[in-house]
Amino acid sequence: MKILHDIRLLFWRKMMETLRNPIYIIVSMLTPVVYLLLFSPLLKKLSIPGYTSKDILNLFVPGLLVIVAFLSGLFVGYTMIDEVKTGVIERFRVTPVSRFALLAGRVLRDLVNTLVIVIFFTLVAIPFGFHVHVLGYIVLLMLVAMLLITTSSFGNALGLILKDEDRLSPIVQGINLPIILLSGMLLPMVLAPTWLQVIAHFNPAFYAVEAGRLLVAGHVFRAQVGEAFLFMVPMTVIVVAWATKAFNNALS
Amino acid sequence: MSKPVVLSKNLKKYFNSKKGVVKAVDGVNLSVGQGEIFGFLGPNGAGKTTTLRMLATLMVPTSGSITIAGYDVVKNPDEVRRHIGYVGQNGGSDRPATGVENLLLQGRLYGMSYSEAMARAKELVKLLQLEDFADRIVYTYSGGQRRRLDVAIGIMHRPEVLFLDEPTVGLDPQNRANLWEEIAKLKAQGVTIFLTTHYLEEADALSDRLTIIDQGKIVTEGTPKALKKEVGGDCITIKIEHQKEVGKELIDLLKKEASTQYITEDSEFIKIYVKNGAAAVIRLTELLNQQKLKLHSITVTEPSLDDVFLKKTGYLLRDKDVDEGGHR
Repeated sequence: MKILHDIRLLFWRKMMETLRNPIYIIVSMLTPVVYLLLFSPLLKKLSIPGYTSKDILNLFVPGLLVIVAFLSGLFVGYTMIDEVKTGVIERFRVTPVSRFALLAGRVLRDLVNTLVIVIFFTLVAIPFGFHVHVLGYIVLLMLVAMLLITTSSFGNALGLILKDEDRLSPIVQGINLPIILLSGMLLPMVLAPTWLQVIAHFNPAFYAVEAGRLLVAGHVFRAQVGEAFLFMVPMTVIVVAWATKAFNNALS
Repeated sequence: MSKPVVLSKNLKKYFNSKKGVVKAVDGVNLSVGQGEIFGFLGPNGAGKTTTLRMLATLMVPTSGSITIAGYDVVKNPDEVRRHIGYVGQNGGSDRPATGVENLLLQGRLYGMSYSEAMARAKELVKLLQLEDFADRIVYTYSGGQRRRLDVAIGIMHRPEVLFLDEPTVGLDPQNRANLWEEIAKLKAQGVTIFLTTHYLEEADALSDRLTIIDQGKIVTEGTPKALKKEVGGDCITIKIEHQKEVGKELIDLLKKEASTQYITEDSEFIKIYVKNGAAAVIRLTELLNQQKLKLHSITVTEPSLDDVFLKKTGYLLRDKDVDEGGHR
């Protein structure tokens, strides 16, 4: 099918960038490890309901995986702006390639990179005391993938629409911090006052983090897991549709 | 002229801004024939790029129609896309990839097989003389090298029409001359070329036919030769001392001269268009002597496209280019 053929070509265009300069992905792989080494020891002294100091990584690692996916996607807008400025996007928009393929090629590259980072980090965390339930973990990867697809599509569309780093930065930074703090990634939201917990329920990353903690323990059929899918599947579909439309309309 | 490849009728693009409606393109009719180089000349902000973007399926017109290679641009953009090549102002070559990779990807996005695309890429590397750098990453290219690759990418799939938006902006004279040669080569291969430019020399040197656009409207069109002929005869440019004070009086006087066809002035020069330059110069110096005006310089030239532009719009293209405003 032509669309799959085009997506494959555009995926490899971006993948070649990664493979030519592996240093970027290597740095991205090391960042969560730095968290593991320099931040997680702090958690061991805290008393968090449901966790002992031995399995504290089962609290911390799922949150970190979700945030890695969230951030990897959100910041792709900068590369997009680069490509708008060098005319690459315009060049592709004049070809008879489906607008969805133009988006999907990029998002898939980001997805592969992120899964590599996430799985690498998981493997590193295991010797530090992270216990993982395989089926639960696979379901968690699905959530991570959806979150990445959403944020990468969103980031790309934002770059395409704004076309300027100075306009992109405040938006990306403005989204970044509240989403991370309200996801309960660093400390679980159980510790938060009620009003904060209420706000957190509007945060896609919160659902993924909550579900993730249950999933790594093997609780695949819990309500929170269902909730996460219920929230994230429609969100992914809507954002991807919107981003595709941005490729169609953009005056890049 | 043969059957038109590009045809636009009453093409309009209006933008809403805070100050009201901006008529970026306001009723443009174009007709470009098979195999010609069509120049689209105008100052920055005249509506050139906006028009081009509508022709190249990148922007939907407010009203009017465009047909390219027989297909309607709004109703059938994908079919139009198959028949056109486009090189935007910013180029389009992907910086982190090599020149050859850029060409291969372009060919394959248009449905060529790998071997077809490779063969075509080799052909273009030769045609546009990319041999020395085609296998290098585009980041390492000079401006001129990148431009040549941009053009090669634009014609990779053998389009019927190639749109070039300000192809030589930012190039030094040497590279500009080279690119002009390459464009002439493409024409020899039968490619129809639609070229926007704000360089008069470029429009003059390259176009078979050209259209001048100003403030969203077409001012005039024709072959460069015919347009210059329309201005007629010769152009005498004079510069006199204290032009500011005496200029107006002198112009009134010059207008009464039988040989004067048309006259314009700006802060520095007065331009007088006459049938016979040599005869008029003699008469002119006499006249200035009588008026006791001191002449700084006097030159007689054949009319240029600049003179065409001046006559049609009332100002010089070069002056307008100083303030780079307008809509893209």
